[in-house]
Amino acid sequence: MENFHNIGTSTDWVVMVVYFLAIMLFGTYFGRYTKNTSDFFFGGRRFSWWLITMSIVATGVGSHSFVKYSAKGFEHGLSSSMTYLNDWFFVPFFMFGWLPIIVYSKVRSIPEYFEKRFNPSARFLATILLLFYMIGYIGIGFLTLGKAVIPMLPESFYIFGSVVDVTLMRAIIVIAIITGAYITFGGQTAVIFTDLLQGFILLFAGFLLFMLGISYLGGGQEFWGLLPTTWKLPLADFNKPSSFNFVGIFWQDAVAGSVGFLFMNQGLLMRFMACKNVNEGRKAATINILFVLPLSAIVVGNAGWLGKAMSVMDPSIVSPNTSPDEIFVVVASIVTSPGIFGFIMAALTAALMSTVDTLINATAAIFVNDVYRPIMRYLKKAYSNDKQKDKEELYAARVTSMVITAAGVLSVLAFIQFPTVYEAHGYFHSTLTPPLVVAIFLGVFWKRFTPAGVITTFLGGVVLMLLGARFPEIYISPFDHGIEMNPNRPYSYIRAFYNLIVCVGVGVFVTMTTFIQKSLVTLIKKNNNSNTVMMCLVIFASISFILAILGSGSFQHILPLFIIILVPIIVTYYGNYDEELSTNGLTIYSISNAKEAFKGSKLNEKIGEKVELNFHLSNHEKDEIMCSKNDLLKLGAEVGDLVYLSDKRKWLGGLKSIHSTFGKSHNEDGVVYLNKDQIDNGLFEENKILIAEKEM
Amino acid sequence: MDYFTHSWLPYIYLYGVGGIFFFSGVYLVWKTGAVDLKKPHHRTWMKVFFLGYAWFMIVHGILTILALQ
Repeated sequence: MENFHNIGTSTDWVVMVVYFLAIMLFGTYFGRYTKNTSDFFFGGRRFSWWLITMSIVATGVGSHSFVKYSAKGFEHGLSSSMTYLNDWFFVPFFMFGWLPIIVYSKVRSIPEYFEKRFNPSARFLATILLLFYMIGYIGIGFLTLGKAVIPMLPESFYIFGSVVDVTLMRAIIVIAIITGAYITFGGQTAVIFTDLLQGFILLFAGFLLFMLGISYLGGGQEFWGLLPTTWKLPLADFNKPSSFNFVGIFWQDAVAGSVGFLFMNQGLLMRFMACKNVNEGRKAATINILFVLPLSAIVVGNAGWLGKAMSVMDPSIVSPNTSPDEIFVVVASIVTSPGIFGFIMAALTAALMSTVDTLINATAAIFVNDVYRPIMRYLKKAYSNDKQKDKEELYAARVTSMVITAAGVLSVLAFIQFPTVYEAHGYFHSTLTPPLVVAIFLGVFWKRFTPAGVITTFLGGVVLMLLGARFPEIYISPFDHGIEMNPNRPYSYIRAFYNLIVCVGVGVFVTMTTFIQKSLVTLIKKNNNSNTVMMCLVIFASISFILAILGSGSFQHILPLFIIILVPIIVTYYGNYDEELSTNGLTIYSISNAKEAFKGSKLNEKIGEKVELNFHLSNHEKDEIMCSKNDLLKLGAEVGDLVYLSDKRKWLGGLKSIHSTFGKSHNEDGVVYLNKDQIDNGLFEENKILIAEKEM
Repeated sequence: MDYFTHSWLPYIYLYGVGGIFFFSGVYLVWKTGAVDLKKPHHRTWMKVFFLGYAWFMIVHGILTILALQ
């Protein structure tokens, strides 16, 4: 495998440094709009669909990365784009199930949903699994960043008279320090706006590279003619090779990955939650999946396709032995001139940093919401007022961002052994997403799914997945679809299928046998020594779980059975679950209830129109806006309905806007009365026209 | 050379098994009332779902035919 160093010129480095400074200044400028934790994490739920769509580009492209798709494009051709074109299958579930539920139930994190839908224990386990997932994801981002910049760096350099070798880990540590900078002081609004800018730049840089590459090869027909047939096919071979096959990647990415990305990726969810309403979130998701992702597939994979065509044309230009993870940098350096190469590399690395920033911000949101706040509640921490509480939480969020950045760097060690970032990411997704994906999915779409079911899915699912990882030839091979097992990295992708099956199996089995658990619990409760009996069961289940995790001895094969039988009994005994109460507004069957709860009163489904208004300052204290009777009629609104008020200038994308409630009406048509807080929060400017629209 | 396992077999699997998930989702959101077909914008969303599915089928189909030519 051929590795590279010192690619690029000093002009490229100057361009990169200028680019980074510009992006950081841009982020810092929008960081000033962060006033509280809601702004820090959710950007104040105010933005238009187009702004969120473009800001997702940088996240999607960054996380799926130029590096790994160019690598697979070089090794296998257009089928590297598979994972960008298979996200549509779960869109109905997401748009009309999960998205309205998380917005209307006002949950700030996925674990919080688990507490509302099930119980605090489910939230605790979900938090642990989600933190592992997010930190692992950050680690993958850092690894990709490191692999992207290493070919540009020298093998070593002198500092204070001694030689310092440039290693992957050292490069990653430096990158992590830079990456952590603006997220720590900016927040979600800063991330959204830098991502918006970078979304445009990324698409431009990717297509620029593609066109320069095509031109280098002599035109589109020559490029197409140079590619072997298998490199032109859009889907990989069904089940070979083990390092890149269709069916494994279908289960790992199209199923576990798509559900994970849409339902579990707190960073992405926070973007949709930053939309001004649910329908805008749907539009953002639709445009992103239908059009932006296919374009992104070309943007991220084309360097690999060009590299393959070049290696067929003349192996002395691009050696077929080039390290796949370095092909992007190699091709970019060949087809571009100094300065342009620096710009493309800056766009790539900045996009990756955006992804990592989004993930760090999201993980901090989970930590503050699901660890910090519950601990403060437990310690009965008193705050003098809401502002002080918000200030302390914002500080905690910023410190957490730094700690998570460090944890992300450490997690790189777990992925560094894989030959390509693609395989590391595939293995990571196959292993960490199934329990949470299944738990969320069954929780939202199956009303009967119980706390015993979800907790056993977490614990029993993890244990069965570990067994599969230890004995793939026994447990995973029945699901392998004919994929050959690579003993070094067995079933990198298709293990997702096995993992999903065992997690669904555990959840469904436990829920379907609820009546048996209830009968057993009733029997135990009748016993005078019920507490002792339960204590013994808890100890036995805990020992079984620990032994199953440690994986010692041949009896580990029967330990999952104990866990799947005992955990539901324990949860049923100690829990107090009312299905009607716990599922109200939290499953797809009761979304209208969630909407009513969100509004706080009966829904007004009258269809109205948007109205232009001038604002005047008023000294009322309530968070209400006052419109005229005629304007309310035009809006189709009544007193108490929710309203979204924004600056008329559409290009602002909702940056200057507020949500409020209609208060009592007056008689001045075209005028809205706002108090000082509303004007400040909405960043409204004097003499600028506002648009009011009824939210619900 | 026979490219079936590299072209149409994965295509059939993708839109067959993927289709099971997709159509189950469409059925579920309709059956539970999450999509209310009496509302005009919900009817539009339903059309978008099917057009989106067809869009990806067509894109993959055309790319496969072009590659095999």
